Amino acid sequence: MNIDDSTIQIGFTDVNKFYGAYHALNSINLSIPKGQFVALVGPSGCGKSTLLRTLAGLEEISSGTINVGGRTVNDIPPRKRDLAMVFQSYALYPHMNVRENLTYALRLKGVSKEIRANKADEVAAIIGLEDLLDRKPRELSGGQRQRVAMGRAIVREPQAFLFDEPLSNLDASLRVRMRKEIRALHERIGSTSVYVTHDQVEAMTMADHVVVMRAGKIEQQGVPLDLYKNPANCFVAGFIGSPAMNFIPGVIDESGESVTLDFEESPSLPIAQSMQPGRPVVVGLRPEHVELGDAQSCGYAAISISSVEETGSTTYLFSSATPELVIVADGSQQVRSGDVIGVKIAPTNVHLFDPETEVSLSNG
Amino acid sequence: MKACAKWIRDGIGFDALLIAMALTYLLAFAGLPLLYNIIISFQVVDMFSLNQLFHEFAGWDNYIEVFHDPAAAEVLWNTTLFTIVSVFFQFTLGFALALFFNQKFPGATWFRGLFLAGWVMPGLVVGVLWNWLLSGDFGVINWTLETLGIIGEPIFWRSDVDYSLISVILANIWYGVPFNMILLSVGLAGIPEDLYEAAALDGATALQKFTTITLPMMRSTIGAVIALGIIFTLQQFDLFAAITSGGPAGSSLVAQYWSWELSFRQFEFGRGAVIAVLMIVVVLGVTVFYVRSTRQETRL
Amino acid sequence: MMGMKRIYKNQLLFIVALFAVALYLFPLYWMYTTSLKTDTAIFAIPPQLLPSSPQWQTYIDVWNGSNIVRYMSNSVFIATGVTLVTVIFGSGASYVLARYRNVWIDISLFTVLMLQVLPPSLMVTPIFVAFASIGLLEYPRIATILAFSAKTMPFFVILCRAAFMTIPRELEEAALVDGNSRAGAFVMIVLPLARNGILVAALLIFMQGFGEYVYSASLISDNRLQPASIGMTNYLQPNIVTWNSIMAFAAIYITPILAAFVLLQRHIVNGLTSGALK
Repeated sequence: MNIDDSTIQIGFTDVNKFYGAYHALNSINLSIPKGQFVALVGPSGCGKSTLLRTLAGLEEISSGTINVGGRTVNDIPPRKRDLAMVFQSYALYPHMNVRENLTYALRLKGVSKEIRANKADEVAAIIGLEDLLDRKPRELSGGQRQRVAMGRAIVREPQAFLFDEPLSNLDASLRVRMRKEIRALHERIGSTSVYVTHDQVEAMTMADHVVVMRAGKIEQQGVPLDLYKNPANCFVAGFIGSPAMNFIPGVIDESGESVTLDFEESPSLPIAQSMQPGRPVVVGLRPEHVELGDAQSCGYAAISISSVEETGSTTYLFSSATPELVIVADGSQQVRSGDVIGVKIAPTNVHLFDPETEVSLSNG
Repeated sequence: MKACAKWIRDGIGFDALLIAMALTYLLAFAGLPLLYNIIISFQVVDMFSLNQLFHEFAGWDNYIEVFHDPAAAEVLWNTTLFTIVSVFFQFTLGFALALFFNQKFPGATWFRGLFLAGWVMPGLVVGVLWNWLLSGDFGVINWTLETLGIIGEPIFWRSDVDYSLISVILANIWYGVPFNMILLSVGLAGIPEDLYEAAALDGATALQKFTTITLPMMRSTIGAVIALGIIFTLQQFDLFAAITSGGPAGSSLVAQYWSWELSFRQFEFGRGAVIAVLMIVVVLGVTVFYVRSTRQETRL
Repeated sequence: MMGMKRIYKNQLLFIVALFAVALYLFPLYWMYTTSLKTDTAIFAIPPQLLPSSPQWQTYIDVWNGSNIVRYMSNSVFIATGVTLVTVIFGSGASYVLARYRNVWIDISLFTVLMLQVLPPSLMVTPIFVAFASIGLLEYPRIATILAFSAKTMPFFVILCRAAFMTIPRELEEAALVDGNSRAGAFVMIVLPLARNGILVAALLIFMQGFGEYVYSASLISDNRLQPASIGMTNYLQPNIVTWNSIMAFAAIYITPILAAFVLLQRHIVNGLTSGALK
């Protein structure tokens, strides 16, 4: 990625953070261009929230530098960083009504009352809360609170928006809707956004750029689909995509053009590249990339199915052999537990990883 | 200077400043007197040497005088008796009331709250009220006991050497029950309802529920309440001042009153300090026990 | 059937509760009753449960003849001073003790707890000697306020800490991001939200200051500066006959406390039980 320095809005350079002996952030390097929507994603405890909080100035870093808008902010308190943050709990001030919540930051800046009132009306129109300006937070529904928290950030016109799992307290359907709204708002305002989530679907659907973290380290970053197609290692491969990728040990065949799986009747899969014969590998197969067919046909491997989950639109098949292979099939498939079916995987969909380092061996 | 202002505005200095205010105050008006108390227990302090900060060294004289005082043994016995009996009844009555009000009936919380009316009263007023209730010839308690046939002739609670300590204990139990009850109620409320439901399904009787669920779950609360009861009872002074003044003939004299009497009635500040030093060691010992029994979360 | 049984049980419990409360609060009732009886009726056998002819004149006599106004003004002065000192010095510390969890906080908390348990009648000896030598006894009411505040502050800190612990830390962080300094966030966000807890704790401290006895009795020798608790002890002579006057004095003295308690009972009980004593 070639980014001109002048367009970099937020930059982390070699950022480390320790809690005592615990290494919470490990050599973080990350550049976020102006206007980009970046998602930080990973399992809980991976350091994504900590990273966001160091950016906001709520946590200090142990070493490295953080830049915002071309300025090093390491020693600058949160109030002078010009960043707006939407919290998981929304953190609406319970003793202020919606209007006061929206304009609290402006009040602290010394903006006059009339301008504040105008600004509150303007933002309320954007987020659709015109009728609720005089309510207290406790009188709002979860979705409305979420909007107020968003509005409070928008009013600021900050250098960047920071989101700390803002949708995790909403129910599923509202979450899907707010996902779209946040994204639409981002495009409309054209601001830089950093979005922390543990939900990879949220990250994939909302962000321009996804950063996958584990144990304080960035495992991989890139365009969402690129992470899906070319995961850098087993962790990213397993974390992105749902249901998760199947991992099966295997060995490269004599020809170097196919891999034999250590699975049921040791089927052999053609691969898209030439590898050293006899090399042990971990084969990654996405459940949705497994094509079903007749077990007797040429090119299909036979697999016996132990259980079937039907959701209507899709059907999940589980192999009886270990490691358990998960297959996502079309809902119209008539498979029952105990059946033996034929499966096939296109060579480009076969991911190979080193069994020791778990690093991807595919050169895709 | 600027860095310091920034440290207080935006850094940890703000917290340091806030906590330092309170700790400095407490160290000045509680910590230093604590140390100074030890110093003056080894000094000759009387009305004539009062206005100097440091006085003539007395060695162990004050301690020896206190231990050889004929009242010492009785004071030790009275203090022990006063504490044990008060705490025992405050706790058992408080626990019984807490269990009673823990049953969900209309008005339970409100009735329970009314008991705290006793707790918010000034100790001296409580003492004066009990002084009147326990009056020998015309006291309502004597009349009730006589009417019920429990006693044949009036007890002179405050002036009879056999009853003077009991009269203060009675007032102290009344004064301490509400606080015990509230603390224990909080503990009872913290036991999840489904534990009792599970026990009921397992066939436990009411008594079995109490012994196998309530008591074990309340262990740390009970430890804390008893320790607090001891601490507060060792602080009790006003009731003695209002009911017996330690009399008659020292029959209701306890250490915390004796120390004060030596200092402020006999102006033997050194000897008053000696008793204070010894008692504070006891109180701090109980406190360590108390803090240990509440290690997970800080209580009062 | 179960429903009926439940109702009978509730009625029974209600009656028992009523009886227990009445028995417990009898001393207070007896105070008011005695204060309204005539000089002879207080010694009647059997005792009268209700005064036959209420003697309101006793209250007027006590109000005019016992310097009770002066005594109570001194009580209010001391209680106000103690409350101010305690709240000003203690609020911030309780906030810090609620906000962090580390070894320094544990040490501070332990120190506060330890100072809370020191019996006043024992601490007053060194305080008296020290105050006498540095001249503080020239201002006996101030001396009492300073000494007693050290006793009330730990209690206040522990009650307020519970109130501060209920305030989510994210609110304060939101304020920092919105442009507050630490002090600004504390004053504009945290303090308003903890207000009720602080007020209840302050009220309890005021009540304690209003009823204070040991320090006043030891540090204030000038009769004109003594509080009402000492005013009461002036009645306590060996053979008292004026029980109606004493009880009227006591009633005037503690009725404000009881009234405040009855009005704010729910808040006080909540303040005591929600966290502080948990």
